[in-house]
Amino acid sequence: MGRPFIHRSPMPGLGVSMGITLTMLSLVVLLPIGALLLKGANFGLAGIWDTVNRERVWAALFLSFRLSLLAALFNLVFGVLLAWVLVRYRFPGRRILDAAVDLPFALPTAVAGISLTALYAPNGAFGQIAAEIGWKIAYTQWGIFIALVFVGLPFVTRTVQPVVEEIEREVEEASATLGASRLHTLRHVILPMLTPAALTGFALSLARAVGEYGSVIFIAGNIPLVTEIAPLLIIIQLEEFNYDAAAAIGIAMLLISFAMLLVINLIQIWSRRRIGYV
Amino acid sequence: MHIEIDEISKQFGTTAALHPVSLAIPSGALVALLGPSGSGKTTLLRILGGLEFPSSGRVLFDGRDATGLSVQERRAGFVFQSYALFRHMTVFDNIAYGLNARPRATRPTKAEIARRVTKLLDLIQLPEIGARYPSQLSGGQRQRVALARALAIEPRMLLLDEPFGALDAKVRKELRQGLRDIHDTTGLTTVFVTHDQDEAMELADLVVVMSMGRIEQIGKPQDIRARPATPFVRDFIGA
Amino acid sequence: MSDAAQIRFRAATEESPAARWTLIALAFAGLAILVFAPLIAVFVEALAEGVTASLKSLASPDARDAIRLTLTIAAISVPLNAVFGIAAAWFITKFDFRGKAFLITLIDLPFSVSPVVAGLCIVLMFGANSALGGWLVAQGYPIVFAMPGIILATMFVTFPFVARELIPVMIEQGRAEEEAALTLGASGWRVFWTVTLPNIRWALLYGVLLCNARAMGEFGAVSVVSGKIRGQTATMPTTIEMQYQEYLSVAAFSLAAVLALLALVTLLLKTALEIRHADQLAAAHRH
Repeated sequence: MGRPFIHRSPMPGLGVSMGITLTMLSLVVLLPIGALLLKGANFGLAGIWDTVNRERVWAALFLSFRLSLLAALFNLVFGVLLAWVLVRYRFPGRRILDAAVDLPFALPTAVAGISLTALYAPNGAFGQIAAEIGWKIAYTQWGIFIALVFVGLPFVTRTVQPVVEEIEREVEEASATLGASRLHTLRHVILPMLTPAALTGFALSLARAVGEYGSVIFIAGNIPLVTEIAPLLIIIQLEEFNYDAAAAIGIAMLLISFAMLLVINLIQIWSRRRIGYV
Repeated sequence: MHIEIDEISKQFGTTAALHPVSLAIPSGALVALLGPSGSGKTTLLRILGGLEFPSSGRVLFDGRDATGLSVQERRAGFVFQSYALFRHMTVFDNIAYGLNARPRATRPTKAEIARRVTKLLDLIQLPEIGARYPSQLSGGQRQRVALARALAIEPRMLLLDEPFGALDAKVRKELRQGLRDIHDTTGLTTVFVTHDQDEAMELADLVVVMSMGRIEQIGKPQDIRARPATPFVRDFIGA
Repeated sequence: MSDAAQIRFRAATEESPAARWTLIALAFAGLAILVFAPLIAVFVEALAEGVTASLKSLASPDARDAIRLTLTIAAISVPLNAVFGIAAAWFITKFDFRGKAFLITLIDLPFSVSPVVAGLCIVLMFGANSALGGWLVAQGYPIVFAMPGIILATMFVTFPFVARELIPVMIEQGRAEEEAALTLGASGWRVFWTVTLPNIRWALLYGVLLCNARAMGEFGAVSVVSGKIRGQTATMPTTIEMQYQEYLSVAAFSLAAVLALLALVTLLLKTALEIRHADQLAAAHRH
């Protein structure tokens, strides 16, 4: 006798809750994603490969991925710093900083997009300063980088913060009684404890950046091969009613997302096995 | 090492955790700080270890003023109540931690560190567990690893905060003897904090009974049993 | 005799004041440049020609239509997602079944799908050139380039918000209170309304708040499915894009400022919830 699929329970509402959950999940998420995959299946692997294997598409995918990686790396370092400062130190304005970390989650991407462009354009507040040293930010890859840093900013901080809160003071004290300097303790005791959470945040930030559209297109300049991101290519194909090509690029991006989702889960399993917590 | 506590007091905000207390601990002694929670015994132990600093008074190690020494400079082997093992390191790396943390000039070679860790694992009678992680150990094993880690830095004294607090009764009995043996082999001046009077009486050469931030009585176990100095001591050890 | 009070001690678990203040300064500087500056820029640009010009542009038909549409979309998609979130959290936390972890992964899926890909999926499923979409158009119910498509796209990108907030809270609260109510003879609905809902109301509000902010601001997915028809399918974010590209800077930034205000109110309410009702939110938000 195998394990029952659903254990008997005295709780009411099994039918209603399961019905709503599965129906809405299917209608809103699973069927549309299925439609994309079906389109890809009809189009065939060879067709997808032919569409993706073009200079312009490779350039866009590579650009999206490379800049997302750099932005996520920046957010990894700055996010851990922020989490530490917000949890460990008490200073005026701490609550405001803490709330501000979430602004990129709350501010619509189109708003962030035009506002970053206004700031970093050659006649903008920051753009003027940069222009004086001959540094062009908006309408270059720097602009995309800054927009991606903005949208990915909260992830690392928000995953690392609870872990910093849970560090037992005694562990740090133990390190000190064993003769370790504060720097040695930070590097060899605290940083390794934060690593799994920081990597999870890094992966989330990366995944968000790879798919980001709204905050990037205004500041990017959208020059093919130079500052054209992968999501924009999908929009361009759709505007030309080129559904097969749009689907092919969409599937390539979906695969990248799934791969990253898998990596996030593996990191969590690995850290749970090894240290017994996430 | 001879430890002298000279009129040490400690304030936390407006509350006094320790009224001025004085105590001399002879070199090589095994001393219990015994008292209920809130008696100031853990605060006193943490002041000895350099984890807490006194509001007034001095600590002398072998006659030299050690009050201002940082925790790193004290070289006190400290065993925490929760053991505070590093979860992301193997038992081997935990024990080797203090040696690896030394500046390059005084750091032993890798081979020398390995030799010392192996010797300590033998001392705590767990020679096989070097490659395991703390989460894979029993409570009693963790306590012994924490002890080995503290001993690895060649401490000048051994300080233990409720070393048997988190263990069940049977393991506790075994480990008491283990601590006694390690104290006798190393000859280190050892101070441990406990709220369990049986543990204090059975294990220590010298028992310091504390209450409400004051020392009520200092004496050999049999003397304290025979002649309690205050009503508090009589009640506490009679319990 | 050395007077202990004269010596400045530093706890073993603290960084030196110099290091501490350097890190705090870096945090302030980083957030000032990355977060506060763009936020301020929105309002500066919106008011570049004065308050009157800004208000006038908000009163224009384009802006009013966009605001009305965005509010309608949120008013439909957010409650639907709240119902889904409650149902999913109930199903997942009150019953034991195989594949629970997989179901949670599926619910989280929209977080890792690009909004543009989400929009593409909906176009491929319901677009006029798909079998289903073609039939629906023939019946007079177009989905894509119409309101239903925008609602679906909005629901897709905000799908996990409420469920994600409720599941950890309901796991933590356990089933004992519901079981007690059942033994006292309460019906299923009664248990939900009188026992469960009061326990999860703050977490629900928290999830709804975030869901709403994202729903009103969604751009990528909506751009793909809406067709951006003025007065019909142009939401606030897509109108901002159109006005910005027509060099109507004050108009674009005025509409953007309305959304930025919404974001600020969301953050304010969220922080208030975190302070006042920390014990009833998912553990990750308590700080």
